[in-house]
Amino acid sequence: MAERMQICNLSENNFEQCTKCSICTTVCPVAAVTTDYPGPKQAGPDGERYRLKDPAYFDKALKLCLNCKRCEVACPSGVHIADIIQHARMSASAGHHASLRDTMLANTDLLGTMANLVAPVANATLGLKPTKLVMDSVMAIDKHRTFPAYSRQKFTTWFKRHAAKQQDAFPNHVSYFHGCYVNYNFPKLGQDLVKLMNAIGYGVHLLEKEQCCGVALIANGLYKQAKRQARTNAASIRKAVNMDHRTVLTTSSSCTFNLRDEYPAVLKVDTTDVRDGISLATRFIYNLVDEEKVKLVFKQDYKRRIAYHTACHMQRMGWQLYSIELMRMIPSLDLQVLEQNCCGISGTYGFKKENYERSQAIGSILFKDISDAQVEAVATDCETCKWQIEMSTGLPVENPISILADALDLDATRKANGID
Amino acid sequence: MRMDTVIMGGGLSGLACGISLAKRGKRVAIVASGQSTLLFNGGSMELLGHVNGKAVTNPLEAIATLPESHPYSKIGADRIASLAERIKLLFSDSGIEMTGSADANHWRVTPMGVAKPAWLTLNDHLRIDDLNNLPAKRLALMCIRGYFDQPNAMLAQGLRDLGFEVDMIEFTTDDITALRRSPSEMRATSLAKHLVSNNALRRLADQVNSLAGDTDMVLLPSVFGQSDSSDYQALQAMAKKPVRLVSTLPPSVAGMRMMTQLRHYFRMLGGTYLMGDTAVSGTFEGDRLTSITTAKLADMPLKADNFVLATGSFISRGLRADYERVYEPVLGVDVDADADREQWTHFGVLQPQAYFGYGVATDGNLHCLKQGKPIQNLYAIGSVLSGHDAIKMGDGTGVSLMTAIAAADHIRESK
Repeated sequence: MAERMQICNLSENNFEQCTKCSICTTVCPVAAVTTDYPGPKQAGPDGERYRLKDPAYFDKALKLCLNCKRCEVACPSGVHIADIIQHARMSASAGHHASLRDTMLANTDLLGTMANLVAPVANATLGLKPTKLVMDSVMAIDKHRTFPAYSRQKFTTWFKRHAAKQQDAFPNHVSYFHGCYVNYNFPKLGQDLVKLMNAIGYGVHLLEKEQCCGVALIANGLYKQAKRQARTNAASIRKAVNMDHRTVLTTSSSCTFNLRDEYPAVLKVDTTDVRDGISLATRFIYNLVDEEKVKLVFKQDYKRRIAYHTACHMQRMGWQLYSIELMRMIPSLDLQVLEQNCCGISGTYGFKKENYERSQAIGSILFKDISDAQVEAVATDCETCKWQIEMSTGLPVENPISILADALDLDATRKANGID
Repeated sequence: MRMDTVIMGGGLSGLACGISLAKRGKRVAIVASGQSTLLFNGGSMELLGHVNGKAVTNPLEAIATLPESHPYSKIGADRIASLAERIKLLFSDSGIEMTGSADANHWRVTPMGVAKPAWLTLNDHLRIDDLNNLPAKRLALMCIRGYFDQPNAMLAQGLRDLGFEVDMIEFTTDDITALRRSPSEMRATSLAKHLVSNNALRRLADQVNSLAGDTDMVLLPSVFGQSDSSDYQALQAMAKKPVRLVSTLPPSVAGMRMMTQLRHYFRMLGGTYLMGDTAVSGTFEGDRLTSITTAKLADMPLKADNFVLATGSFISRGLRADYERVYEPVLGVDVDADADREQWTHFGVLQPQAYFGYGVATDGNLHCLKQGKPIQNLYAIGSVLSGHDAIKMGDGTGVSLMTAIAAADHIRESK
């Protein structure tokens, strides 16, 4: 009887565990800057009680939610507040079509493929004032934003031409889910990972088939397409983990969180069987060092002062520790860990004209902390945080993997790990 | 990953212990599952408020009369005075400005207008040192229109019962009116987020100045300064009369401010604060705990020389109860609790409840016991401990702070 009652007490997203303490609302970055958004308690568990009675109680203000998950991190009762909000948005969007702008912003890989072909033209054009004004007025993409520059060569093209052949020779192997940003905008991060992993004796391999993880599709309400892509990725990851016995590494915190947690929780594409086989690269490398399976040898003269920003999804995963502790191994690096605050971009959210001011207001606390920290660069595991911080502070932002790859004495590391 | 000390629980006691150790250059990690009950704190620390239903005037003297099972007795009544000084220093080092002394309680005022004995109170909050010599004769109780987390009529009555003359003055400003669009979320913490700019504070000060009339002191709900007291100071500089804050219903701005400042100081000292992660289990070898695992670090155990259990009471899930037993869910250490479920509670919600005193069993050095044997490198601190009663004795925050520093001392003295 007693056990049975406990089972019945379980509710989807731990909804019934909410004690109405309002702590979630105190950390919500959106509610802090606008009264248009009722805050996570009202938008989540409170509103859900009404929506369960009648879906017509859906409040359009829920689209202001960033899905940053800070409410879930703060909740002392383990309620999946943001998931409740996401589900409500999903049910309310059934039958509606996303706008051209949202579809364009969400399809990071399609846009990337097209832009790579004409990268110099695209970069020049997207950066031009007239183009920005047209996008601002016609597409409602805010004119203050600059699209991240597109690379002339995709990461996968570089990999196949210059790296793929050598990978089998290494004693150990991992797969790499590079994501759209590495592939279309910033192949250097992928190259840094390959360099780093090779130096510690790991060959890096692409997945059989990789599509955009879909985090932007979810945010823009393109759930069907997100599900399709999730199934493709899940199958490729399953093959890598189960057949090839390779951990699938990532270098983006949001892709990682999406693959591991949002696929099953939001899209209902079950990846729980391979969840442990998907890891952020910094976590994988930290664990290897911690278990004394590999050694990292750093340059002695890598003198830099860098601030670390914990991306919201990174904190939701609870993995900032790995990136921070890895960077702390670099002897002459002065690392300042910033208080966790949202940068306000939340993927494509801040690109939209109607969100621009809110996005900058949300990020203002973080920008001030960064300027107070008096650093030469910022490190973070999220590419969209990078764009936002670079635009708003003028400082360069680097992924911890790139910092590690730069700081590493490659020859000495190879030698220490017995790699010729 | 190896640390010198791993602390399970990121509330008041966990942070105080962590700061105390990190200050001496130790590598400390705190695992904090969500925000803590500090967000329910009204801006005061209590050492000992009541014994046998009677208000305590001199906590140091009263502590000496407590039973052996009380955490203060385990620390040693003679050590409390010196620890109290160190705790005041820890607060001021963190930027938290409080006033009070361990040998003479003052009075804080609850949101309901009740005076309760307190040890330390934030300098910008209403503090009454002597009920026979009130800090003001006539108060302007400023009531924000549309704000429900301050029961104004009760508060005013309570203040009058204490001997104040009270003018209840309802007011609003454009900034506050704008917030009423979302009335369900018009909470102290939301107000504090929007009353930050100099313009908003200026508009508020103008209202206060024009409405406060002949009163001696202005009381405002504690809705200023989430991360430090600078918003209050800006307001006071613009106000013509002394301004004091009264605590509100939770979540509390004062609690958030203290939490932010303590966490910031801990980070500055090099501490690692794992927000939103939960300790789930531990590995024991003989009479020692060798590592714990957390929900999010999963395959990477946190190893350390010493561990501290600061997971809080039932509300924070540091203690759990099911249909058969009261237990400690992370490490399965011994608890002091009645085996007979009938004894846990008594009829009448405001009556003393036996379960208030339940908690983790410890030896004289705050070591946790497992199957009756002390675990030599595992200490319990704060609300998870047995033998005290935050509600009826008013010793909750005091026990959290005193045991935190005492455990940090034990850890420094060990091996």
